[in-house]
Amino acid sequence: METWEENHKTKALNLLRTRICDPKFMFKPLYDSPDSNFSKLKFMISSSVTEACNNSILLLGPRGSGKTEVLDLVIQDLFLEYPDSISMIRLNGLLHFDDISAFKEIARQLCMEHELLFSKTASFDDNSQFMVAMLKECGLAHKTVIFILDEFDLFAQGKQRLLYTLLDAMQSITSQAVVLGISCRLDADQLLEKRVRSRFSHRKLIFLPPSVEDTQRLLAHVLTLPMGPSFPHEYAIEFNSKVQKILEDKRLKETLNKHLSFDSSVKHLLRFLFCAISHMDLQTGFLSRENFETAFSSIHRQPKLECIRNCSILELYILVCMKRLEFKEQSLCNFHSVMKEYKSIHDSFQNNDYYARNVCLRAFEHLIDRELICFTDNRGHSLSVEYRPVKLLISPTELHQGLRAYQSCPVSRPIEQSYCYFVYVPHYEIRMPLISVQAFHCVFGLFFHFWVYFVCYFFQSLLWEHIIIY
Amino acid sequence: MDKDGASLLPRRTTRSLASASSSVPDAKVNSLGPLTIDDLLVGGDPISLDGLISSFPGRSSQIHQILHLLGPLNSPILPLFVYGGSSTGKTSIVLQLFRHLNRPLVYSSCRTCYNQRILFESILSQLLLHRRNASNGYSNAKRCERPSDFVNCLRDALTNVINNLKEKSETQRGIGNMVYLVFDNFQLVREWDKSSTILPLLFNLHDLLKMPEVGLIFISSTSPDTFYSNMGYVEPIPVYFPDYTDGDIRQILLRNQPNQNLYSSFLKVALSHFCRMTRQVDELSTALKPLYDKYCEPLKNKEVIPTGDMKRKLFTLLVETREETKQKGNHNNLKHFEEIGELDFHMSTSAKYLLISAFLASRNPATLDASLFDAKGGSDNRKRKRKASEKVLEKKETLEEELLMKGPGSFPLERLLAIFQCLVSVAEEPYDEEEQTHDGLGVQGGNGGLMNNVLLQLSSLCNANFIYKGRSCPIEGAMRYRSTISEDLALKVARSLKFPLSKYLYRR
Repeated sequence: METWEENHKTKALNLLRTRICDPKFMFKPLYDSPDSNFSKLKFMISSSVTEACNNSILLLGPRGSGKTEVLDLVIQDLFLEYPDSISMIRLNGLLHFDDISAFKEIARQLCMEHELLFSKTASFDDNSQFMVAMLKECGLAHKTVIFILDEFDLFAQGKQRLLYTLLDAMQSITSQAVVLGISCRLDADQLLEKRVRSRFSHRKLIFLPPSVEDTQRLLAHVLTLPMGPSFPHEYAIEFNSKVQKILEDKRLKETLNKHLSFDSSVKHLLRFLFCAISHMDLQTGFLSRENFETAFSSIHRQPKLECIRNCSILELYILVCMKRLEFKEQSLCNFHSVMKEYKSIHDSFQNNDYYARNVCLRAFEHLIDRELICFTDNRGHSLSVEYRPVKLLISPTELHQGLRAYQSCPVSRPIEQSYCYFVYVPHYEIRMPLISVQAFHCVFGLFFHFWVYFVCYFFQSLLWEHIIIY
Repeated sequence: MDKDGASLLPRRTTRSLASASSSVPDAKVNSLGPLTIDDLLVGGDPISLDGLISSFPGRSSQIHQILHLLGPLNSPILPLFVYGGSSTGKTSIVLQLFRHLNRPLVYSSCRTCYNQRILFESILSQLLLHRRNASNGYSNAKRCERPSDFVNCLRDALTNVINNLKEKSETQRGIGNMVYLVFDNFQLVREWDKSSTILPLLFNLHDLLKMPEVGLIFISSTSPDTFYSNMGYVEPIPVYFPDYTDGDIRQILLRNQPNQNLYSSFLKVALSHFCRMTRQVDELSTALKPLYDKYCEPLKNKEVIPTGDMKRKLFTLLVETREETKQKGNHNNLKHFEEIGELDFHMSTSAKYLLISAFLASRNPATLDASLFDAKGGSDNRKRKRKASEKVLEKKETLEEELLMKGPGSFPLERLLAIFQCLVSVAEEPYDEEEQTHDGLGVQGGNGGLMNNVLLQLSSLCNANFIYKGRSCPIEGAMRYRSTISEDLALKVARSLKFPLSKYLYRR
């Protein structure tokens, strides 16, 4: 009896984990309404299948918003509806960004689909001719070829020969193909060359993160166990009622809001859920709110602060020295200038933490390993470590907080004393010549720390979508 | 564990599991030293969770966290990102956990697989149950350079392995049908040639493969935020390994010590001092070892249990030695050659002269060469005795700062040879000064054996990294050199030659 109980608890856990790792399951409930992207996309593709016309569509949206998954669902449906008149070619910009491998992959997939013999040694020209010929043949046979170009923006680098060949072949009356581009860059169509753009039908579908209500619906959809023979009835009922209670809990909603304020895409939510579910207690077999709290704290980390917490005292001294140098507006510093500063700190505070130069050098190298500081040049081995200029990768506030949070730091007082008169430097950011992620840290360094990470995260996602560039 | 399972498997699968999950951890474990539990491993017994936790002091929460994330048998997993400073037990804990769980994994370290092709081929070889031997010319299972080929091959290989596992798990329970790919030292990927394409590829591998039976684990010594790039990816789930606390370090160092009491009393006096400098266990253990030997020296019987009095005596002795070592500055096993001392490496006399002249050429401004080497070894010039004005002092300071920033200067070969010739003639034949000329290329074989094969010596010094050979100067076209040795080393070398180096050093 007991093992049976254990078994069904494990089974419940496994079911939840499988659901989360299977993106198709996740996106089903979000896209059943008639004006959803799912129905729009399905309509567009199925009409071009039935009416035997060419089409090209871009699916745009931030990372993790389910573009590929929705497309997969659509294709799956279409395969059921028109099993004989669709053939699919999948390319990924990460893998097939150069034309040679892209055409090779297309030829390979066409050969697989139509049970032809694929020649690995075929040249680029052979492959592209083969593709055009196959498109023609498929058109004559009333078979729609669906090209899925994942990471579409990467295909738009270089000469765009693949896109041109594809779209040009679609201009002919015999061919019957759909080109679907998936990209997280909202300006993906602006990247196209003129000759490509003019052949492209500018249909775009924008994928947005789910709304708060949708998120709630999604959570319930993922976390409730199915009623049926697979689980004991009472267990499933109790499990579901507990989940319901957790989801209505105010504190959980708060945590969830905090999590989603970083990034409200579905994938991001799933990471959180995965963490929470994996902490489920198998003894009781039920989820609890604490699971979600643990997940939140384990996902949202402050890596730089953790790094500072890991430093030894000597390493902290070096960091503080570098910060002091930065405060003195010394634009460049290297190990020797840091050592000079270290000596002056030692002279003015009379602590007994004065170590030999080579010991400090080792600590300095540790800091480089920890990526709290980095070299500003990339000249490599032309100079020894001592002479290469370095810069700090943490903001003053981070260092200050790190020192505050440093446990068992017996000399925190002198360090902080030596530190405190440059913590609140106004207009700190003006001295930054280039905007970098680090500078961005600094600009917002005076804000509350949590928000720094939020801002950085946000900044990063803006970068992905190329709203801003380096 | 694998030996038990082996008999039940078809031959090919045994190899895979043996190579995938047992041979790799073995090799790994041996190199990690005191942290490991290789006694248990050699026996091949499965490790209980308690044993695992007790063998990694201070790591139980991390072990539990990974265990939770890995989940029960056959449960799919999102990619994990295990990170933390060096020597915090990331790799060994992950590998030992897999030993405990008895699940197959493909381990590849990005340090040994130092580029994209080698990484791809090593993963595929492991998955394809390929063993390199003489019959196949020690080649990998597949040649695979492009990411597109890799993903295709990987998918085929993984399906194959998973099918094998599924067949196997029908007969034998406990293996499951998940395969885990572990990428160790992942931070190194950022420095590869094609890091901008390979990083997003590996991070997106889970989405690209779309195989729920495949788990990905990245082990890195830097945090996930150092991997941000222009290309995005859905971040893996972070698992953080903090550095050990002082208490943990004490426990770790105490493991495998024959005389626990003595060692703990030693640690009590020594550890806190060292922990202020570094908290990395591997460095601490190497640094403490010679010190412990010193500590034990007065004791005849190493098995003795220390009493209070003895502890005090040992402590005072230790403090003395510590002060000594502190002065020498070598108590933190620095690999730098300065500490090796003057007698620890051998060099020919002419190489020493060459080294010194390179040091001088790097250190002194070229304009002063004439005055330094001209008459009588350039006796101190009188200018400096004048009292320096404010402005000059200020200038001096900025110059000094500049020197600190710039490091040693570079010099052409001609200047090096000229200085070398001067030095040699001063040291060897002080009487034929009239032969010295300012043009350095006047090596006419007049001054004996030391001038022979100078270029050969120079190239060997370059190879030994004492002199750095830079790129050719775009204007002059000649090769420029730079000496990388510190002043201490130069002084030591000079002392061994009884050469008055300080006389020739220009002090600002």
